[in-house]
Amino acid sequence: MNLLTSLAIGILFAAGIYQILRRNVIRAAVGLVLLSNAVNLFLFSAGAYNGQSAAYSTAAAQISDPLPQALVLTAIVISMGGFAFVLSLLYVISTRYKTSDSDEVKGLKN
Amino acid sequence: MNTWLLLLPLLLPFAGVPLTLALRKRRKIQSALALGLMLAALASTFGLLRAVLTTGQPVSVQMGSWQVPFGITLTADPLGVFMVLMSQIVLSAGLIYSLGSTEKVVQYPTYYPLFLALAAGLTGAFLTGDLFNLFVFAEIIVISGAVLTAIADDTYGVEAAYKYFYISTLASVFFLLGIGSLYVAHGTLNLADLAARIASNPSAPLTMTGMAFLTATFLIKSAAFPFHFWQPDFHAAAPTAVSAMLSSLVVKVGVYAFFRMTALLFPEVTLLKTLLVGVGVAGVIYGGFGAAGTHNVKRMLAYSTLAQIGFILVGIGWGTPLSLAAALVFTFNHALVKAAMLMLAGAMASRAAVKSASFEVVVGVGKYYPFAGVLFLLGGMALAGIPPLNGFISKLMIFWSGVEAAQYVPLLIIGVASIVTLTYVTRAFIRIWFEPNPKAKEKAGDRLLAPALLVLLSLLLGVWAEPLVSLSQWAAAWLGDPAFYIAAILR
Repeated sequence: MNLLTSLAIGILFAAGIYQILRRNVIRAAVGLVLLSNAVNLFLFSAGAYNGQSAAYSTAAAQISDPLPQALVLTAIVISMGGFAFVLSLLYVISTRYKTSDSDEVKGLKN
Repeated sequence: MNTWLLLLPLLLPFAGVPLTLALRKRRKIQSALALGLMLAALASTFGLLRAVLTTGQPVSVQMGSWQVPFGITLTADPLGVFMVLMSQIVLSAGLIYSLGSTEKVVQYPTYYPLFLALAAGLTGAFLTGDLFNLFVFAEIIVISGAVLTAIADDTYGVEAAYKYFYISTLASVFFLLGIGSLYVAHGTLNLADLAARIASNPSAPLTMTGMAFLTATFLIKSAAFPFHFWQPDFHAAAPTAVSAMLSSLVVKVGVYAFFRMTALLFPEVTLLKTLLVGVGVAGVIYGGFGAAGTHNVKRMLAYSTLAQIGFILVGIGWGTPLSLAAALVFTFNHALVKAAMLMLAGAMASRAAVKSASFEVVVGVGKYYPFAGVLFLLGGMALAGIPPLNGFISKLMIFWSGVEAAQYVPLLIIGVASIVTLTYVTRAFIRIWFEPNPKAKEKAGDRLLAPALLVLLSLLLGVWAEPLVSLSQWAAAWLGDPAFYIAAILR
């Protein structure tokens, strides 16, 4: 399970970084989502395997650390808000510059 | 009482976000409410400062009354209250500028709510005593700043916001990786608790990894040298009042985090300090020459921020009590001056034939506005570090602390590079106020009250620098002894 999780995190990171470096702005946005999911999984794995029962349970069994889960929840909400903002930016950019190639979006260079 | 003094600077702007959003149909009331809340927050910050000064102890509050180190801690220690005071003074000036601005963006119903969200994010970031909470406030700053830039009158605002948002989302990814690493290593995110645990077990696996991730994050946030490429675009394209906030306050969040990292979390790691000195010196050189080479006043000032952040990072990197105090004074003075200068640049741009801060457009516009010229000259003198302005005090303290720390090579480099400041400021002043331009006409533009107040404050803090200097020396003394901070929070 440890190996599987670390592989999943690694693959998500690699794919995310690859996509975010692409010139196509939509692929870059997908890369952003992959990266934030990779880091969420990483945070989650920080406290994933310690307990046998959920944090709210009153059973005597050892409970998992609830803090990483709370952190991930917050991070998910923030990255969702950020992604919505990125999509709206992409909409404006695509109507204004008529392209999805980030190299063509260079108004600030002149 | 002290609890409320701590909560009010944060709660007032936060409460203002929904309130001003509800009043979006009534612009006059909305903007007056925003300014009123900001001034009330500023007043309560003064009260907070007084409470911290008289008791000599940080004021701290546990959210939801959880026992330390669980739950979220809000702390006003000397450093935090110093930074909050700085940001609220400049934010109030920013709101005053917005009230008198002719830009279309201030008419948008969401402008004031977003501005207050930026204010709340900044205040929260300086007051929180929890690493993850710092991340959340940093995200509030990023999102509100990026949206304010995306809706700017400047057509390239969207492009600049897009660039900035990608870079800072990457910074957030690094931030979360750093938080995760430190949590795995030490099992806590409360800054005081984390500092105590790192001190007792500095070689726990992933500690250094976490530090590296946090360093990368805050270098991006403070737009230090190799991570600055988005910064001039972003600061130049934002609406004037907002760009003044971005260039003077938002980059200071990264600087603040470096104060915390070098003094509290990783005081034993000399590599980090050396890195900061190196990055700072490179930023001073690159920012100075970048500013001298631009064709736009706002861009010039944005590059100048890069150089000035370099000075501050060098001061943090030297790490002596005097250099930390110098870095704090520099941080405060730079915030006042840079905000005033950007507002003046924007006010002149609003009076130009086409609204732009490009030198070609804005040249000669100053002919009809001698008062703005006096302010710009005073601000420029403060930026270059000429007495009797506050910039002189900050540079004097930095150089003095460098001599005391016997760091002659970086001292020589930043000393030479700071002369460049004088050249670009003078050039901007001469081009705007003395070069003839037949197209320049007298025209209504943004009001000059806010930059006048800030320049006045700069002049005051240059002539009568003692309160600020002793305040920062006191904060630096607190920074020098992390055990104090840890004991005061963990009790």
